[in-house]
Amino acid sequence: MGSMRRDEGGWPWLTAGSVALSLLMVLALLALLATRGLAHFWPAEVERVTLIDGDQLAGQRVRTLAPPGGEASAPEVLYRTGNRDLDGQAWRWVSAAEIASRSTPQELLMLQRQRWGEFFGRLVALREAGDTLGIRDEALWQELQTRLARVDDLRQRRDRVQSEEIEPLLRRLANESSVGPDTREALIARLGEARRRLEGIRAALERDTLIVESVDGRRLEQPLGEVLAAWRPNALSPVAKLEHWGHRVWAFLSEGPRAANAGGGVWPAIFGTVLMVLLMSLLVTPFGVLAAVYLNEVARQGPLTRLVRIAVRNLAGVPSIVYGVFGLGVFVYGIGGSLDQWFFSERLPSPTFGTGGLLWASLTLALLTLPVVIVATEEGLARIPDHQREAALALGATRYEMLRRVVLPMATPAMLTGVILAVARAAGEVAPLMLVGVAKLATQVPVDGEFPFVHLESKFMHLGYHLYNIGFQSSDMERALPLVYATALLLVVVIVVLNLTAIFLRHHLRVRHRALVP
Amino acid sequence: MTDPSPATPRLRGRLRQTRDRLATLAISAGGIGVVMTVLAIGVFLAIEVLPLFVPSQVTTETHAAPAESIRERAVWMHLDDRRRMTLLGQNGRLWQVPPDGDPVMTGSAEWMARLQGQRIVTVAESVEAGLLVLGLAGGDALLVPRLPGQPPAWPEARRYTLFADASADELALGKSGDRWWLAGRDPTGRVAVLRGETGGASQRLLLPDRATHLAFGNDGRLVLAEGRRLMVWSLKDGPPRRLGERRVLETPRRITALSYLAGGETLLVGDSGGGLRRWLNARGDAAPLVAAQPYATPGQAAITRLLPLPDERLALALDGAGSMALYQAVAGLRWTGAAPPDSPRALTFGPPGHTLWWLGARGLQALTVDAEHAEVSWATLWTPTLYEGHEVPRQRWQASAPGIEDEARFGLAPLAWGTLKAAAWALLFAVPIALGAAIYSAVYMSARLRTRIKPTIELMEALPGVVIGFVAGLVLAPFVERHLAGALAVIVLLPFCLWLAGVLWARLPRDLRRYLPFHWAGLWLIPWLALWVWLALASSPFIESLFFAGDLGLWLQRHYGLDYAQRNTLIVGLAMGFAVIPTIYALAEDALAGVPKSLDAGAQALGATRWQALWRVVLPAASPGLFSAVMIGAGRAVGETMIVLMATGNTALMAWSPFEGLRSTAATIAIELPEAAAGTTHYRLLFLSALLLFVFTFCVNTLAELVRQRLRRNYRRLGAS
Repeated sequence: MGSMRRDEGGWPWLTAGSVALSLLMVLALLALLATRGLAHFWPAEVERVTLIDGDQLAGQRVRTLAPPGGEASAPEVLYRTGNRDLDGQAWRWVSAAEIASRSTPQELLMLQRQRWGEFFGRLVALREAGDTLGIRDEALWQELQTRLARVDDLRQRRDRVQSEEIEPLLRRLANESSVGPDTREALIARLGEARRRLEGIRAALERDTLIVESVDGRRLEQPLGEVLAAWRPNALSPVAKLEHWGHRVWAFLSEGPRAANAGGGVWPAIFGTVLMVLLMSLLVTPFGVLAAVYLNEVARQGPLTRLVRIAVRNLAGVPSIVYGVFGLGVFVYGIGGSLDQWFFSERLPSPTFGTGGLLWASLTLALLTLPVVIVATEEGLARIPDHQREAALALGATRYEMLRRVVLPMATPAMLTGVILAVARAAGEVAPLMLVGVAKLATQVPVDGEFPFVHLESKFMHLGYHLYNIGFQSSDMERALPLVYATALLLVVVIVVLNLTAIFLRHHLRVRHRALVP
Repeated sequence: MTDPSPATPRLRGRLRQTRDRLATLAISAGGIGVVMTVLAIGVFLAIEVLPLFVPSQVTTETHAAPAESIRERAVWMHLDDRRRMTLLGQNGRLWQVPPDGDPVMTGSAEWMARLQGQRIVTVAESVEAGLLVLGLAGGDALLVPRLPGQPPAWPEARRYTLFADASADELALGKSGDRWWLAGRDPTGRVAVLRGETGGASQRLLLPDRATHLAFGNDGRLVLAEGRRLMVWSLKDGPPRRLGERRVLETPRRITALSYLAGGETLLVGDSGGGLRRWLNARGDAAPLVAAQPYATPGQAAITRLLPLPDERLALALDGAGSMALYQAVAGLRWTGAAPPDSPRALTFGPPGHTLWWLGARGLQALTVDAEHAEVSWATLWTPTLYEGHEVPRQRWQASAPGIEDEARFGLAPLAWGTLKAAAWALLFAVPIALGAAIYSAVYMSARLRTRIKPTIELMEALPGVVIGFVAGLVLAPFVERHLAGALAVIVLLPFCLWLAGVLWARLPRDLRRYLPFHWAGLWLIPWLALWVWLALASSPFIESLFFAGDLGLWLQRHYGLDYAQRNTLIVGLAMGFAVIPTIYALAEDALAGVPKSLDAGAQALGATRWQALWRVVLPAASPGLFSAVMIGAGRAVGETMIVLMATGNTALMAWSPFEGLRSTAATIAIELPEAAAGTTHYRLLFLSALLLFVFTFCVNTLAELVRQRLRRNYRRLGAS
């Protein structure tokens, strides 16, 4: 096979090119996601740009666009300038021809704020309860960092009081029947006490303010309680930048979304995806294996079984949206509607199970992935040589014993492969979820400390849908795009890892069975 | 066995047997159950869809009615939610009739005084306008305001003069915003119009046309019928404007009934020959009405009366032979049957829902119109249909919000078109690449490379559609829009650059060629391809300024009239092609690798080159397998949702141009089903779309699978011989 004869012409090269092109496309896609997704968290330099007309702006260079059609005009540069409260917008297109000079001064500061997004500018002073502190420059910067740590701590305490004390108390109070009059008094007293503490924390949060100045000299008094982080990108050393990058990646993975999903992290989406997929695998594994064992070991092998097998195999090719429609009609409106009428009639007409939710999404995806598990398990079962079964039966085992002790253990890797493939497929499916229970924004994860701990009826967030939602329904596309890249990268990484596991398992399985066949 | 139980061996044996039987039973039950559930999907979808095709029906039921002495003089009636009837007599007497009790006379002296002793001869009512109009024998009209869901406010009635010397034979009411219009026709055919504002002044106008029938559409549009002609007037602002007239019938037919349907856009015209035809308000000024195809009608007897239903584009038509028919605006005749034998003195709609209460000499009848999905028929779904606001029949999908103004347009053809168009373009890209790659891996590629490449391409299959869709919609689409010439150049240049690679490779010195062996070409060609892609894109501005006046998009529009939408079919084709390549590749590679080696070896031994052996022997042998691979790829492309949803503008167009957007069935379901209320026509039609997708993919996949199994048997036979 080594060389090629010359008279074969160009056709073989076209076939080779097809492989190369496929690989090139995959590589390009992965490279695009990896670079854009990870670069978003890198603390890029902040430029101070002076325009020809004397106007100044500070911001991060996002991209440069050549003018369309090769015209002779200068390219346009997009700057992320933040300061939405001052300028009314956070982005600015600047023609390269208008730029007089650019510099990257060390003292340029970048603030991440809860409201109004980023701020770019200079630090002027710190105020405590209205009095300006008399420190400057480096000392001021150090003091800012200490106070930010304090504010962060206060914010966490505030959230804890809110979610762990006040909200449970409110829920217990709302549930009239279970609370006696005495306990009710006690609860109200505790609630009042918790609210007073919350007020105290809020007051402490509002103590400090920050005086900052944009590069064109407009001053702003920024409450420190709303500042999430402050850093000077131009002053960071490469190691510090890397550290900062790590922090932001972690924040992306561990925090909830902010600013209508256009900022913050994706933790609820990760959690929702994992929980939904876990539930789905709990549902799909026993039923898939049962069906496969029935088809392969118990059912009489005839034309009917063959037909059923073809049908099951084909169901893997039925569009996922069809399963979504089925789930909506049967699970949500059918079963869910009936459950609501039987058990939750006091809450009607607002539905409990009669609307999309975690359980229905898991069930729908379980149905969607059932053929995958059945086919993989059947393949595993078919690979087991018949003499293994015959030997077990010849030694006096019943069929059940033969299945349980000999066949199923040998088929375990195949089942695992099937389940992992199912999980990989389910993790990436979005279309059916849009019908049976995914939410744009669900601040609370469906698991908490209250009975029954896992709330099967609640809506949940999903990485894939989150990606679609921020990518296509966001008002500030420029701001959302980096997050879309990061989310897409995360989703692809999860799915690639799952698939690699499945491939590895299958390989392992083949090697093992090769040893069994005489 | 390590079972430590002390039972005797016999007992244990029986226990084992029982357990075995139970297990078998459980496995069978579970297995059959699962298989059945999975197979039930299609059945369930069909059950949800069936009500769409249940024929419409009108059922008549007789109810208890007040005594004939009260009935005979009734001119108007109303039933409230508890079925309490209010009757208005010719002399202005009001009667309250409970469902099972004796009538009670009500009505204040103040109200009776408004009539000034004149008889009520005609009645018109408009729920939308919130008005009830009573024509008095002297030519005056009483306007009684009426809030929705409440009885008319009798004492607040106002009296206007329509005709000074004759009573009105027919009245018609129109409403737009807080304007209302009242038109009346006297026995000689004169037409007088009152125009007023809610709670404000009014104005009386006389029209110069004579008429035998009147109908008010929306926006102050009044249609007069006279003989075979329709005259259209606009009374919106200023003096009445005559928009035009149109002869709508051929001799000897005459217009015998005229009515607008709910919404005021569709006019029904019934004639003396039993014909019924729909006319739509035209948007432009050229002709005031657009003609639709006449409806199929059940008989030849003259249409005597048209009763439009409120809130639906449905109407009941009564004819001279005593039969009754139900028509839907776009779907036409839905039901025929016998009308109640007596002529109605008073009529009212509801409650409940679509019930027409008919008070006549024989008593009170309830005609329940059961036509939930009457607007859907096989013809309206798949053939061009004339909708309101259009001039010619079109294929349209536009599910409207539940309101009476907009007519829902339920044509599935644009969705089917979008689905097939997207799938066709995807296959156009995917099939050459996937089959080429499969041929190379099965025939030329080194075994070591193949074990690495196959998992990579499997990974490509696992990439979620939402990620591919995002890259296509947000990255590729804007990029291609800016570099259209470059992107098209890539497609043209790639085959050329591969051919060039072959030529150059053949001229390489032998030593170098050993470092770049052909069976590894799938790998080392990647940088070469990347280089050419970059070259093509970099040359894009030059190509555009040289040949296309600087902007290919503009040039296409100017020379070929092609609009360039950013998210278009080309982008979907590329993205979805990318998604189906791995599916087709894997199956095609299987089919090619399964061809018995003896065939290939035999051909080559007879002197064929490897390509000749492949082309003449291996490919024909594997062609059913390749066919089934393409079929399964097509199945996947047809059902793919997220990529199409994100990479097209989701505009339901039926255009050939690859630079226009489209709307596929699957994407429509994903967008619209969460918002569609359960049980509505829209909801069921989306289920129908899902069922069609299911049936299509299921059939395609089954066919492909059967072909594959047959192929495998053939290989076994060939391999054995």
